[in-house]
Amino acid sequence: MADSDNDSGGAHNAGKGSEMSPREQDRFLPIANVSRIMKKALPANAKISKDAKETVQECVSEFISFITGEASDKCQREKRKTINGDDLLWAMTTLGFEDYVEPLKGYLQRFREMEGEKTVAARDKDAPPPTNATNSAYESPSYAAAPGGIMMHQGHVYGSAGFHQVAGGAIKGGPVYPGPGSNAGRPR
Amino acid sequence: MDKSEQTQQQHQHGMGVATGASQMAYSSHYPTAPMVASGTPAVAVPSPTQAPAAFSSSAHQLAYQQAQHFHHQQQQHQQQQLQMFWSNQMQEIEQTIDFKNHSLPLARIKKIMKADEDVRMISAEAPVIFAKACEMFILELTLRSWIHTEENKRRTLQKNDIAAAISRNDVFDFLVDIIPRDELKEEGLGITKATIPLVNSPADMPYYYVPPQHPVVGPPGMIMGKPVGAEQATLYSTQQPRPPMAFMPWPHTQPQQQQPPQHQQTDS
Repeated sequence: MADSDNDSGGAHNAGKGSEMSPREQDRFLPIANVSRIMKKALPANAKISKDAKETVQECVSEFISFITGEASDKCQREKRKTINGDDLLWAMTTLGFEDYVEPLKGYLQRFREMEGEKTVAARDKDAPPPTNATNSAYESPSYAAAPGGIMMHQGHVYGSAGFHQVAGGAIKGGPVYPGPGSNAGRPR
Repeated sequence: MDKSEQTQQQHQHGMGVATGASQMAYSSHYPTAPMVASGTPAVAVPSPTQAPAAFSSSAHQLAYQQAQHFHHQQQQHQQQQLQMFWSNQMQEIEQTIDFKNHSLPLARIKKIMKADEDVRMISAEAPVIFAKACEMFILELTLRSWIHTEENKRRTLQKNDIAAAISRNDVFDFLVDIIPRDELKEEGLGITKATIPLVNSPADMPYYYVPPQHPVVGPPGMIMGKPVGAEQATLYSTQQPRPPMAFMPWPHTQPQQQQPPQHQQTDS
Protein backbone atom coordinates (compact mmCIF):
# COMPACT_ATOMS: atom_id res chain seq x y z
CA MET A 1 0.00 0.00 0.00
CA ALA A 2 2.59 2.54 1.09
CA ASP A 3 4.97 1.47 -1.66
CA SER A 4 2.38 1.91 -4.37
CA ASP A 5 1.57 5.34 -2.99
CA ASN A 6 5.21 6.28 -3.19
CA ASP A 7 5.53 5.01 -6.75
CA SER A 8 2.45 6.81 -7.98
CA GLY A 9 3.56 9.92 -6.13
CA GLY A 10 6.92 9.73 -7.84
CA ALA A 11 5.33 9.32 -11.25
CA HIS A 12 3.07 12.28 -10.60
CA ASN A 13 6.05 14.27 -9.44
CA ALA A 14 8.07 13.41 -12.55
CA GLY A 15 5.24 14.56 -14.76
CA LYS A 16 4.88 17.82 -12.93
CA GLY A 17 8.64 18.37 -13.01
CA SER A 18 8.79 18.30 -16.78
CA GLU A 19 5.85 20.68 -16.99
CA MET A 20 7.36 23.17 -14.55
CA SER A 21 8.43 26.15 -16.64
CA PRO A 22 10.38 29.15 -15.33
CA ARG A 23 7.15 31.14 -15.56
CA GLU A 24 5.32 28.55 -13.49
CA GLN A 25 8.01 28.71 -10.84
CA ASP A 26 7.06 32.32 -10.17
CA ARG A 27 3.82 31.06 -8.63
CA PHE A 28 5.75 29.39 -5.80
CA LEU A 29 8.32 30.39 -3.26
CA PRO A 30 11.82 29.02 -3.93
CA ILE A 31 12.01 25.34 -3.05
CA ALA A 32 15.38 25.86 -1.35
CA ASN A 33 13.90 28.35 1.11
CA VAL A 34 10.88 26.14 1.74
CA SER A 35 13.10 23.10 2.25
CA ARG A 36 15.34 24.93 4.71
CA ILE A 37 12.36 25.98 6.82
CA MET A 38 10.88 22.46 6.74
CA LYS A 39 14.11 21.04 8.13
CA LYS A 40 13.86 23.33 11.14
CA ALA A 41 10.68 21.51 12.17
CA LEU A 42 12.18 18.03 11.88
CA PRO A 43 14.77 15.94 13.72
CA ALA A 44 18.33 16.10 12.44
CA ASN A 45 18.20 12.63 10.89
CA ALA A 46 14.90 13.23 9.09
CA LYS A 47 14.76 13.31 5.31
CA ILE A 48 12.30 15.07 3.03
CA SER A 49 11.26 13.68 -0.34
CA LYS A 50 11.23 16.06 -3.27
CA ASP A 51 7.52 15.61 -3.87
CA ALA A 52 6.91 16.60 -0.24
CA LYS A 53 8.90 19.80 -0.74
CA GLU A 54 6.97 20.61 -3.91
CA THR A 55 3.66 19.90 -2.19
CA VAL A 56 4.53 22.33 0.60
CA GLN A 57 5.55 24.89 -2.04
CA GLU A 58 2.04 24.67 -3.46
CA CYS A 59 0.48 24.77 0.01
CA VAL A 60 2.33 27.98 0.90
CA SER A 61 1.21 29.74 -2.28
CA GLU A 62 -2.32 28.61 -1.55
CA PHE A 63 -1.97 29.96 2.00
CA ILE A 64 -0.85 33.36 0.70
CA SER A 65 -3.72 33.51 -1.81
CA PHE A 66 -6.22 32.34 0.82
CA ILE A 67 -5.27 35.01 3.37
CA THR A 68 -4.81 37.71 0.73
CA GLY A 69 -8.25 37.02 -0.74
CA GLU A 70 -9.94 37.43 2.62
CA ALA A 71 -7.96 40.60 3.40
CA SER A 72 -8.76 42.01 -0.04
CA ASP A 73 -12.48 41.40 0.47
CA LYS A 74 -12.30 43.29 3.76
CA CYS A 75 -10.55 46.25 2.12
CA GLN A 76 -13.20 46.41 -0.58
CA ARG A 77 -15.99 46.38 2.00
CA GLU A 78 -14.31 49.26 3.77
CA LYS A 79 -13.63 51.14 0.52
CA ARG A 80 -9.87 50.99 0.97
CA LYS A 81 -7.44 50.21 -1.84
CA THR A 82 -4.32 49.11 0.01
CA ILE A 83 -3.92 45.87 1.94
CA ASN A 84 -1.88 46.45 5.07
CA GLY A 85 -0.50 44.27 7.84
CA ASP A 86 -3.56 44.59 10.08
CA ASP A 87 -5.80 43.34 7.28
CA LEU A 88 -3.66 40.23 6.98
CA LEU A 89 -3.74 39.62 10.73
CA TRP A 90 -7.52 40.01 10.75
CA ALA A 91 -7.84 37.57 7.85
CA MET A 92 -5.67 35.01 9.62
CA THR A 93 -7.85 35.21 12.71
CA THR A 94 -10.99 34.82 10.63
CA LEU A 95 -9.62 31.84 8.71
CA GLY A 96 -8.44 29.84 11.71
CA PHE A 97 -4.81 30.88 12.04
CA GLU A 98 -5.25 32.86 15.24
CA ASP A 99 -2.15 31.20 16.71
CA TYR A 100 -0.05 33.12 14.20
CA VAL A 101 -1.47 36.53 15.05
CA GLU A 102 0.08 37.17 18.46
CA PRO A 103 3.69 36.57 17.32
CA LEU A 104 3.07 38.60 14.17
CA LYS A 105 1.67 41.57 16.06
CA GLY A 106 4.97 42.11 17.84
CA TYR A 107 6.81 41.53 14.59
CA LEU A 108 4.70 44.11 12.74
CA GLN A 109 5.03 46.66 15.52
CA ARG A 110 8.82 46.49 15.50
CA PHE A 111 8.91 46.56 11.72
CA ARG A 112 6.85 49.74 11.70
CA GLU A 113 9.18 51.33 14.22
CA MET A 114 12.17 50.52 12.04
CA GLU A 115 10.34 51.66 8.93
CA GLY A 116 9.62 54.97 10.61
CA GLU A 117 13.33 55.49 11.18
CA LYS A 118 14.22 54.29 7.69
CA THR A 119 11.68 56.57 6.04
CA VAL A 120 13.20 59.60 7.73
CA ALA A 121 16.71 58.49 6.81
CA ALA A 122 15.67 57.78 3.24
CA ARG A 123 14.15 61.21 2.86
CA ASP A 124 17.28 62.82 4.23
CA LYS A 125 19.54 61.00 1.79
CA ASP A 126 17.11 60.71 -1.12
CA ALA A 127 18.72 57.40 -2.05
CA PRO A 128 18.03 53.76 -1.10
CA PRO A 129 21.30 52.11 -2.30
CA PRO A 130 22.25 50.69 1.13
CA THR A 131 18.95 48.83 1.26
CA ASN A 132 19.48 47.32 -2.17
CA ALA A 133 23.04 46.33 -1.36
CA THR A 134 22.02 44.62 1.86
CA ASN A 135 19.09 42.82 0.25
CA SER A 136 21.10 41.61 -2.72
CA ALA A 137 23.58 40.05 -0.31
CA TYR A 138 20.88 37.62 0.80
CA GLU A 139 19.45 36.87 -2.63
CA SER A 140 20.75 34.21 -4.99
CA PRO A 141 22.97 35.52 -7.82
CA SER A 142 20.53 34.62 -10.59
CA TYR A 143 17.80 36.41 -8.69
CA ALA A 144 19.80 39.51 -7.75
CA ALA A 145 19.22 41.58 -10.90
CA ALA A 146 15.43 41.46 -11.07
CA PRO A 147 14.89 42.04 -7.34
CA GLY A 148 17.16 45.06 -7.61
CA GLY A 149 14.65 46.82 -9.78
CA ILE A 150 11.75 45.59 -7.71
CA MET A 151 13.50 46.60 -4.53
CA MET A 152 13.87 50.15 -5.81
CA HIS A 153 10.15 50.11 -6.49
CA GLN A 154 9.55 48.74 -3.04
CA GLY A 155 11.68 51.55 -1.69
CA HIS A 156 9.23 53.93 -3.28
CA VAL A 157 6.33 51.92 -1.86
CA TYR A 158 7.96 52.21 1.54
CA GLY A 159 7.76 55.98 1.27
CA SER A 160 4.10 55.97 0.29
CA ALA A 161 3.39 53.19 2.76
CA GLY A 162 4.28 55.57 5.56
CA PHE A 163 0.93 57.25 5.10
CA HIS A 164 -0.93 53.95 4.85
CA GLN A 165 0.67 52.76 8.05
CA VAL A 166 -0.79 55.76 9.83
CA ALA A 167 -4.18 54.88 8.38
CA GLY A 168 -3.62 51.31 9.44
CA GLY A 169 -2.99 52.44 12.97
CA ALA A 170 -6.25 54.35 12.97
CA ILE A 171 -8.17 51.36 11.67
CA LYS A 172 -6.60 49.25 14.37
CA GLY A 173 -9.11 50.72 16.81
CA GLY A 174 -11.98 49.66 14.60
CA PRO A 175 -14.46 46.90 15.39
CA VAL A 176 -13.18 43.35 15.73
CA TYR A 177 -15.30 40.78 13.96
CA PRO A 178 -15.76 37.55 15.92
CA GLY A 179 -14.72 34.41 14.09
CA PRO A 180 -17.71 32.73 12.46
CA GLY A 181 -18.42 29.00 12.45
CA SER A 182 -15.77 26.71 11.06
CA ASN A 183 -17.67 26.07 7.84
CA ALA A 184 -19.81 29.16 7.41
CA GLY A 185 -16.87 31.53 7.70
CA ARG A 186 -14.69 29.78 5.20
CA PRO A 187 -15.08 30.97 1.61
CA ARG A 188 -14.25 28.40 -1.04
CA MET B 1 -7.06 -19.01 4.98
CA ASP B 2 -7.49 -18.97 8.75
CA LYS B 3 -5.23 -15.95 9.06
CA SER B 4 -7.12 -14.25 6.29
CA GLU B 5 -10.41 -14.85 8.08
CA GLN B 6 -8.97 -13.61 11.34
CA THR B 7 -7.73 -10.47 9.63
CA GLN B 8 -11.11 -9.84 8.08
CA GLN B 9 -12.88 -10.31 11.38
CA GLN B 10 -10.45 -7.98 13.08
CA HIS B 11 -11.18 -5.41 10.39
CA GLN B 12 -14.89 -5.80 11.01
CA HIS B 13 -14.21 -5.29 14.68
CA GLY B 14 -13.01 -1.81 13.83
CA MET B 15 -10.26 -1.58 16.44
CA GLY B 16 -6.91 -3.03 17.44
CA VAL B 17 -6.73 -6.20 19.52
CA ALA B 18 -4.00 -8.20 21.22
CA THR B 19 -3.15 -11.72 20.11
CA GLY B 20 -5.17 -13.37 22.87
CA ALA B 21 -8.13 -11.11 22.30
CA SER B 22 -7.80 -11.77 18.61
CA GLN B 23 -8.22 -15.51 19.09
CA MET B 24 -11.15 -14.97 21.39
CA ALA B 25 -12.71 -12.64 18.86
CA TYR B 26 -12.19 -15.27 16.20
CA SER B 27 -13.92 -17.89 18.31
CA SER B 28 -16.88 -15.64 18.99
CA HIS B 29 -17.11 -14.74 15.32
CA TYR B 30 -16.95 -18.33 14.07
CA PRO B 31 -20.76 -18.82 13.97
CA THR B 32 -21.05 -15.80 11.70
CA ALA B 33 -18.48 -17.10 9.21
CA PRO B 34 -21.11 -17.76 6.50
CA MET B 35 -22.20 -14.13 6.66
CA VAL B 36 -18.69 -12.91 5.84
CA ALA B 37 -19.05 -14.32 2.35
CA SER B 38 -22.04 -12.12 1.69
CA GLY B 39 -19.88 -8.99 1.80
CA THR B 40 -21.26 -5.64 2.96
CA PRO B 41 -24.22 -6.99 4.97
CA ALA B 42 -21.81 -9.09 7.00
CA VAL B 43 -19.81 -6.00 7.82
CA ALA B 44 -22.91 -4.20 9.07
CA VAL B 45 -24.85 -7.00 10.75
CA PRO B 46 -22.23 -8.44 13.16
CA SER B 47 -21.62 -5.09 14.80
CA PRO B 48 -24.74 -4.91 17.03
CA THR B 49 -24.72 -8.64 17.63
CA GLN B 50 -21.08 -9.27 18.42
CA ALA B 51 -19.83 -5.94 19.73
CA PRO B 52 -21.36 -6.20 23.24
CA ALA B 53 -19.90 -9.64 23.87
CA ALA B 54 -16.54 -8.60 22.50
CA PHE B 55 -16.45 -5.43 24.56
CA SER B 56 -17.42 -7.23 27.76
CA SER B 57 -14.35 -9.45 27.44
CA SER B 58 -11.79 -8.48 30.06
CA ALA B 59 -8.85 -9.20 27.75
CA HIS B 60 -10.50 -7.10 25.10
CA GLN B 61 -11.09 -4.27 27.53
CA LEU B 62 -7.46 -4.40 28.54
CA ALA B 63 -6.36 -4.20 24.92
CA TYR B 64 -8.71 -1.29 24.34
CA GLN B 65 -7.44 0.56 27.39
CA GLN B 66 -3.86 -0.06 26.34
CA ALA B 67 -4.61 1.37 22.91
CA GLN B 68 -6.28 4.37 24.50
CA HIS B 69 -3.34 4.89 26.84
CA PHE B 70 -0.89 4.68 23.96
CA HIS B 71 -2.80 7.24 21.94
CA HIS B 72 -3.12 9.49 24.95
CA GLN B 73 0.63 9.37 25.49
CA GLN B 74 1.19 10.02 21.83
CA GLN B 75 -1.15 12.99 21.90
CA GLN B 76 0.62 14.38 24.95
CA HIS B 77 3.96 14.10 23.19
CA GLN B 78 2.59 15.81 20.09
CA GLN B 79 1.01 18.53 22.19
CA GLN B 80 4.34 19.18 23.87
CA GLN B 81 6.03 19.38 20.49
CA LEU B 82 3.52 21.96 19.29
CA GLN B 83 3.86 23.98 22.48
CA MET B 84 7.63 24.01 22.09
CA PHE B 85 7.14 25.11 18.50
CA TRP B 86 5.04 28.13 19.46
CA SER B 87 7.32 29.00 22.34
CA ASN B 88 10.31 28.96 20.00
CA GLN B 89 8.45 31.14 17.53
CA MET B 90 7.84 33.80 20.16
CA GLN B 91 11.48 33.79 21.19
CA GLU B 92 12.70 33.87 17.61
CA ILE B 93 10.48 36.81 16.70
CA GLU B 94 11.48 38.73 19.80
CA GLN B 95 15.10 38.31 18.78
CA THR B 96 14.53 39.51 15.23
CA ILE B 97 16.43 42.72 14.57
CA ASP B 98 17.24 42.69 10.89
CA PHE B 99 14.03 42.78 8.85
CA LYS B 100 16.00 42.63 5.62
CA ASN B 101 17.20 39.10 6.20
CA HIS B 102 13.96 37.34 5.40
CA SER B 103 13.83 33.59 5.03
CA LEU B 104 11.56 34.10 2.02
CA PRO B 105 11.89 36.57 -0.88
CA LEU B 106 9.48 39.48 -0.52
CA ALA B 107 9.25 40.07 -4.26
CA ARG B 108 7.95 36.55 -4.84
CA ILE B 109 5.43 36.88 -2.02
CA LYS B 110 4.17 40.11 -3.52
CA LYS B 111 3.85 38.48 -6.94
CA ILE B 112 1.77 35.66 -5.47
CA MET B 113 -0.45 38.19 -3.71
CA LYS B 114 -0.91 40.15 -6.95
CA ALA B 115 -1.98 37.00 -8.80
CA ASP B 116 -5.44 37.78 -7.47
CA GLU B 117 -6.88 40.38 -9.83
CA ASP B 118 -8.96 41.92 -7.05
CA VAL B 119 -5.81 42.84 -5.17
CA ARG B 120 -4.83 46.37 -6.13
CA MET B 121 -2.28 47.94 -3.80
CA ILE B 122 -0.15 46.23 -1.16
CA SER B 123 1.59 48.09 1.64
CA ALA B 124 5.28 47.44 2.21
CA GLU B 125 4.56 45.72 5.50
CA ALA B 126 2.30 43.06 3.97
CA PRO B 127 5.01 40.90 2.32
CA VAL B 128 7.11 41.25 5.48
CA ILE B 129 4.25 39.92 7.59
CA PHE B 130 3.69 37.11 5.11
CA ALA B 131 7.36 36.14 5.15
CA LYS B 132 7.06 35.38 8.85
CA ALA B 133 3.54 33.93 8.61
CA CYS B 134 4.56 31.58 5.80
CA GLU B 135 7.53 30.42 7.83
CA MET B 136 5.21 29.57 10.72
CA PHE B 137 2.80 27.88 8.30
CA ILE B 138 5.56 25.73 6.79
CA LEU B 139 6.83 24.79 10.25
CA GLU B 140 3.37 23.84 11.52
CA LEU B 141 2.42 21.87 8.41
CA THR B 142 5.77 20.07 8.40
CA LEU B 143 5.55 19.24 12.10
CA ARG B 144 2.04 17.83 11.75
CA SER B 145 3.10 15.88 8.67
CA TRP B 146 6.07 14.41 10.52
CA ILE B 147 3.68 12.98 13.12
CA HIS B 148 2.24 10.82 10.35
CA THR B 149 5.71 9.85 9.15
CA GLU B 150 6.60 8.63 12.64
CA GLU B 151 3.34 6.71 12.95
CA ASN B 152 4.40 4.77 9.86
CA LYS B 153 7.89 4.12 11.27
CA ARG B 154 9.60 6.05 8.48
CA ARG B 155 12.34 8.69 8.54
CA THR B 156 11.51 10.31 5.20
CA LEU B 157 8.71 12.85 5.01
CA GLN B 158 6.56 12.05 1.98
CA LYS B 159 3.70 13.61 0.09
CA ASN B 160 1.12 11.34 1.70
CA ASP B 161 2.25 12.53 5.14
CA ILE B 162 1.34 16.06 4.12
CA ALA B 163 -1.96 14.81 2.72
CA ALA B 164 -2.68 13.15 6.06
CA ALA B 165 -1.88 16.31 8.01
CA ILE B 166 -4.16 18.32 5.73
CA SER B 167 -7.06 15.92 6.14
CA ARG B 168 -6.68 15.75 9.91
CA ASN B 169 -6.79 19.48 10.59
CA ASP B 170 -9.80 21.59 9.64
CA VAL B 171 -7.66 24.70 9.48
CA PHE B 172 -6.01 23.21 6.39
CA ASP B 173 -9.29 22.59 4.55
CA PHE B 174 -8.40 25.17 1.94
CA LEU B 175 -5.59 22.86 0.81
CA VAL B 176 -7.68 19.80 -0.08
CA ASP B 177 -7.54 20.62 -3.79
CA ILE B 178 -3.76 20.29 -3.68
CA ILE B 179 -3.94 16.64 -2.63
CA PRO B 180 -3.81 14.64 -5.87
CA ARG B 181 -6.22 11.80 -6.53
CA ASP B 182 -3.61 9.10 -6.02
CA GLU B 183 -3.30 10.22 -2.39
CA LEU B 184 -6.98 9.67 -1.65
CA LYS B 185 -6.33 6.30 -0.01
CA GLU B 186 -3.91 7.92 2.39
CA GLU B 187 -6.37 10.71 2.92
CA GLY B 188 -8.95 8.14 3.95
CA LEU B 189 -6.42 6.74 6.40
CA GLY B 190 -5.85 10.22 7.73
CA ILE B 191 -9.54 10.79 8.25
CA THR B 192 -9.80 7.46 10.01
CA LYS B 193 -7.04 8.48 12.37
CA ALA B 194 -8.75 11.79 12.88
CA THR B 195 -11.40 9.96 14.85
CA ILE B 196 -8.98 9.06 17.62
CA PRO B 197 -7.50 12.55 18.13
CA LEU B 198 -11.03 13.87 18.33
CA VAL B 199 -11.69 11.59 21.25
CA ASN B 200 -8.42 12.09 23.04
CA SER B 201 -7.71 15.76 22.66
CA PRO B 202 -10.62 17.94 21.53
CA ALA B 203 -8.73 20.96 22.83
CA ASP B 204 -6.29 20.49 19.98
CA MET B 205 -8.98 21.40 17.48
CA PRO B 206 -9.27 25.02 16.30
CA TYR B 207 -13.03 24.73 16.76
CA TYR B 208 -14.60 22.65 19.48
CA TYR B 209 -16.01 19.29 18.45
CA VAL B 210 -18.09 17.07 20.70
CA PRO B 211 -16.11 13.81 20.70
CA PRO B 212 -18.28 10.73 20.22
CA GLN B 213 -18.77 8.68 23.36
CA HIS B 214 -17.42 5.14 23.44
CA PRO B 215 -19.23 3.24 26.21
CA VAL B 216 -17.77 -0.18 26.78
CA VAL B 217 -21.11 -1.81 27.73
CA GLY B 218 -24.42 -1.88 25.90
CA PRO B 219 -24.81 -1.20 22.18
CA PRO B 220 -21.42 0.51 21.63
CA GLY B 221 -21.24 -0.59 18.03
CA MET B 222 -24.34 1.36 17.20
CA ILE B 223 -23.24 4.47 19.07
CA MET B 224 -19.66 4.37 17.91
CA GLY B 225 -20.52 3.63 14.30
CA LYS B 226 -23.06 6.32 13.59
CA PRO B 227 -21.18 9.39 14.87
CA VAL B 228 -18.01 8.36 13.06
CA GLY B 229 -19.96 7.75 9.89
CA ALA B 230 -21.66 11.10 10.21
CA GLU B 231 -18.36 12.88 10.70
CA GLN B 232 -16.79 11.15 7.75
CA ALA B 233 -19.80 11.88 5.58
CA THR B 234 -19.59 15.52 6.62
CA LEU B 235 -15.88 15.67 5.93
CA TYR B 236 -16.22 14.14 2.50
CA SER B 237 -19.26 16.15 1.55
CA THR B 238 -17.32 19.26 2.52
CA GLN B 239 -14.05 18.37 0.87
CA GLN B 240 -15.28 16.59 -2.22
CA PRO B 241 -18.48 17.81 -3.87
CA ARG B 242 -18.94 14.62 -5.89
CA PRO B 243 -21.38 12.41 -3.94
CA PRO B 244 -20.09 9.01 -5.16
CA MET B 245 -16.67 9.64 -3.69
CA ALA B 246 -18.17 10.38 -0.31
CA PHE B 247 -19.13 6.72 0.12
CA MET B 248 -16.21 5.02 -1.58
CA PRO B 249 -13.79 5.19 1.39
CA TRP B 250 -16.17 3.35 3.71
CA PRO B 251 -14.99 -0.19 2.87
CA HIS B 252 -11.37 0.85 3.31
CA THR B 253 -11.74 2.87 6.47
CA GLN B 254 -11.99 0.09 9.02
CA PRO B 255 -9.27 -2.20 7.62
CA GLN B 256 -6.76 0.61 7.56
CA GLN B 257 -7.69 1.70 11.04
CA GLN B 258 -6.77 -1.77 12.24
CA GLN B 259 -3.19 -1.77 11.08
CA PRO B 260 -1.44 0.90 13.19
CA PRO B 261 -2.73 -0.29 16.58
CA GLN B 262 -1.99 -3.85 15.59
CA HIS B 263 1.58 -2.93 14.77
CA GLN B 264 1.94 -1.12 18.04
CA GLN B 265 0.67 -4.11 19.98
CA THR B 266 3.08 -6.38 18.18
CA ASP B 267 6.02 -4.11 18.86
CA SER B 268 5.24 -3.81 22.56
